[in-house]
Amino acid sequence: MARGLTRQQIGVTEAMIQAFGETIFNLSHNHQIRTGDPIRKLQFDAIEAQRADAGLTDAQIAERIGLTRNQVLYIRTVLERRRFRTGHYVRLLELGGGKRFRAERYVPHLDHFKYSEQALALRAAMSYAPERARLYVERGWWRDDTLSKWLERHATATPDAPAIRHGDTVISYGELKRKVGNLAGALAALGVAKGEVVSIQLPNVPEFLIAYLAIASLGAVMSTIHMPYRAAEIETLLAHAKSRAVICLSAAKDYPAAEVMLALKSKLPLLDHVIALGAPVEGTLSLGELIAHDREPEEIAEPPVASDPFLLLFTSGTTSAPKAVPLSYHNMLSNARLGAPEHRVTAADRILSAAPFSHLYGLYSFHVAMAVGAETLVLPVFTPPDLAQTIERGRPTALWTAPAHVAACLGTGLFDRHDLSSLKLAIVSGSACPPELARGFAAKAKNCAVTQLWGMTETQGALYTRPGDPLEVSATSAGRPSPGTEVRVADLDDRPLAAGVEGELQVRGCLLFPGYLDNPAANAASFTADGWFRSGDLAVQDEAGNVRITGRIKDVINRGGVKYNPLDVELLLDKHPKVAQAAIVPIPDSVLGEKACAFVVPKPGAAPTLRELCDYLSEHAIAKIKLPERLEIIAEMPMTPTRKIIKGRLKPSSA
Amino acid sequence: MATAKRDIDPVEAKKQILDYCRRKGALAAGVADLAAIERIAPPGHRPTDIMPRVKSVIALGVGGQTQGAWTVPAKAMAYFGSTETRAYKIAYGLSFFIEGKYGIRSIYCPPDMDPDAGPRVPLQSLKLHAELAGIGARSLAGDILLHPDYGYMYFASVFTELELEPDKPLERNPCPAPSCVNMYRSIGRTPCMKFCPVQCLDGEIDEDGNQKVMRYDMAACAEMSQQYETVPSAIANAIAAETTQDREDALFDPDNKMLWYKMSVGSGGLLAQCFECMRACPIATKAPLADPILRYEAARKKAG
Repeated sequence: MARGLTRQQIGVTEAMIQAFGETIFNLSHNHQIRTGDPIRKLQFDAIEAQRADAGLTDAQIAERIGLTRNQVLYIRTVLERRRFRTGHYVRLLELGGGKRFRAERYVPHLDHFKYSEQALALRAAMSYAPERARLYVERGWWRDDTLSKWLERHATATPDAPAIRHGDTVISYGELKRKVGNLAGALAALGVAKGEVVSIQLPNVPEFLIAYLAIASLGAVMSTIHMPYRAAEIETLLAHAKSRAVICLSAAKDYPAAEVMLALKSKLPLLDHVIALGAPVEGTLSLGELIAHDREPEEIAEPPVASDPFLLLFTSGTTSAPKAVPLSYHNMLSNARLGAPEHRVTAADRILSAAPFSHLYGLYSFHVAMAVGAETLVLPVFTPPDLAQTIERGRPTALWTAPAHVAACLGTGLFDRHDLSSLKLAIVSGSACPPELARGFAAKAKNCAVTQLWGMTETQGALYTRPGDPLEVSATSAGRPSPGTEVRVADLDDRPLAAGVEGELQVRGCLLFPGYLDNPAANAASFTADGWFRSGDLAVQDEAGNVRITGRIKDVINRGGVKYNPLDVELLLDKHPKVAQAAIVPIPDSVLGEKACAFVVPKPGAAPTLRELCDYLSEHAIAKIKLPERLEIIAEMPMTPTRKIIKGRLKPSSA
Repeated sequence: MATAKRDIDPVEAKKQILDYCRRKGALAAGVADLAAIERIAPPGHRPTDIMPRVKSVIALGVGGQTQGAWTVPAKAMAYFGSTETRAYKIAYGLSFFIEGKYGIRSIYCPPDMDPDAGPRVPLQSLKLHAELAGIGARSLAGDILLHPDYGYMYFASVFTELELEPDKPLERNPCPAPSCVNMYRSIGRTPCMKFCPVQCLDGEIDEDGNQKVMRYDMAACAEMSQQYETVPSAIANAIAAETTQDREDALFDPDNKMLWYKMSVGSGGLLAQCFECMRACPIATKAPLADPILRYEAARKKAG
């Protein structure tokens, strides 16, 4: 409609708009050209000559091209509307106050960074109950921490302070920032964008941590693959994580890692890049070169913020239904920041993790180090001698370790032959720590506070004893909740139980992951209606609030309706002179429903019998109902990378 | 009402009229040559189209920005545009002043759009009036008028049946400034061209340092400054949206909510122009009398 008249009254058709629209638009004032300065100089001939350039009125255009004035008016205003691009006003928002528009730097609105579908899906998984989020923010637990900000802070405040030590090689925080910037720039150039996943399968080498920080600085997400995993497991994890790139060794012993990844690349459409550490492998990029190649620091389009997901870790299900745990900076870094003073870790500390960085427990040591600007001493692969030597030579002040590590070193006398005097703190975690193991370790590391920590991939450090606690507390419990964390022991109906009663350990707090990625069944099973996470661990909390982990719910044996936790039986079996390691799992029974089967790794040359073991247990006051009814002798116990027994893989030979 | 008083001295009347303008806050004022305007303005936009017996067109300009204004963020400066209302007030008062003092019909020239031609076409060109009255010359910045002493001003006009001696256009066009010519020689662009957020300005400077060609993409400029076009776009997008989420975004995203806000409170902020070309212009910001602080210093010196 123009001037109150309809298209029909004006006699305009879409064909006319198409035919004359551009001409009318250009003849109008929308585009203006002036040659010379004819009005000021009153050069009337020149003014007349360039009227069309300066812009004609609708009536003048109508006369010029043979339309009615109303037709021109209508068509012009239609064109002005159709061609009008909205959103330009935002260009102003960054200008002024000393800043001027630079066409070469301006990114048009439509070209602005856009999250990929997989990145958005990951963000969608970061779902927290509003009242919990508000609480964590109000309490100051969730702040604006990101690994990039922490690195920047330390690189600025203490650029020469050591950040990573590997043997005699030391990387300062300033140097670390440069290397991280190089790799981040390279990853960005490869198209890795915020929210996208980069997977890593590396041992605990400095490059792991450099890559971790580089991925984080892009706002991307790191997903770890444990070193023992091979093609079948890796394919599942890469596919579920929707990884854009994978960083691995060129080759490990008997494992052509890079070739395996390249083969998977052809199966996984989202996997674009294989980046290898070590000897060159055709078709891969060299991690070493990407880190070493100095480049100008690039401005990150969408720098990470604390609510972003930055870790995607897998807890189980490496062949089907993976349980992928997305974690935000809020979750992880609040836990580390609040935890550092509890562990009495400061910038003066040198932290060694015997646990792999592919596991959250190993990463926790790095998070705590980054929280305070401490130094991380790396041990690429755990072996008992290497750990003992690294402690002696590297002189860490804090050690993150697992009961299996400690047991191996104590059992072989390594802790007698090496100097542990640098240690002021040793955190033991990963599985239940037998009290005598903690006591034995404390006896060897005389000036060291041996503490226990309980956590999961879903929580990081949820419970721990503190360095000031009596040894007996640390030897017999996993301690009290970390700051910002609540725990309760609940029955099968999620009702809290009294102190001293065994039940399931449930967790809530600022450290808690939001839920498994793309796994609604696992989420439904893992959270209570009021947001508590069902850990699956059995525990007892004492009056002082210290929590003792007593087993796994899944490990409970239901023998004819009588349920019992076999942990005490296992601990006793471990002490039998013919037993190196033992585990008890339920096996189906047509009469009782379930009965107990003991899997035993014998000591060299030993051949324990079921009868021998049962007699031994009976001598130690184990009830008859808890005695194993079957024995399986195995050569090696299936273990997780953090040295936990994988009971799910223990299947009786004839079962 | 008397249409004329035979005893009016046109020279004295002009002096009194221009004095009135300055007294009321105009930096510059002058009388445009009506015949020239009638010849240059297109039909329908000539002074006689709205006042058939007009004899004179008086143009006046008020100062554009304070020195402080040039330093603020652009989003804040966009609200400084209401300076033009000062010019309108003076013109409005002047029309009463002429009728009251001389008994001759006058009008405050409506500064707004021609409802017969859509929102981008003014009833009258205040720019043409001011240029012919000698209080501004067309610049490379989309023909924005600049004055060598007062820099960048807002203009208003008064039409009157009182016949006054017209002034002449400026002898010299201050645009381009010498520094702009140097920049153009170096990179082929002047500051206003380089720093325009929508790159709507282009042009050429001749060998003598004068304007050769001015090119202005007013449509692009309007995309930045004429936000009324965004209003129907937002509604059209909402109607066309396929999902509730898209519909909500079309109506309630922060930019669009600002539009609804401006409409509901009648705020003129963020409309008309963005000032970035003028922020980069040495004449607009540094002309000797464009700077209120310099004017203050001059007045202080004069007072001894």
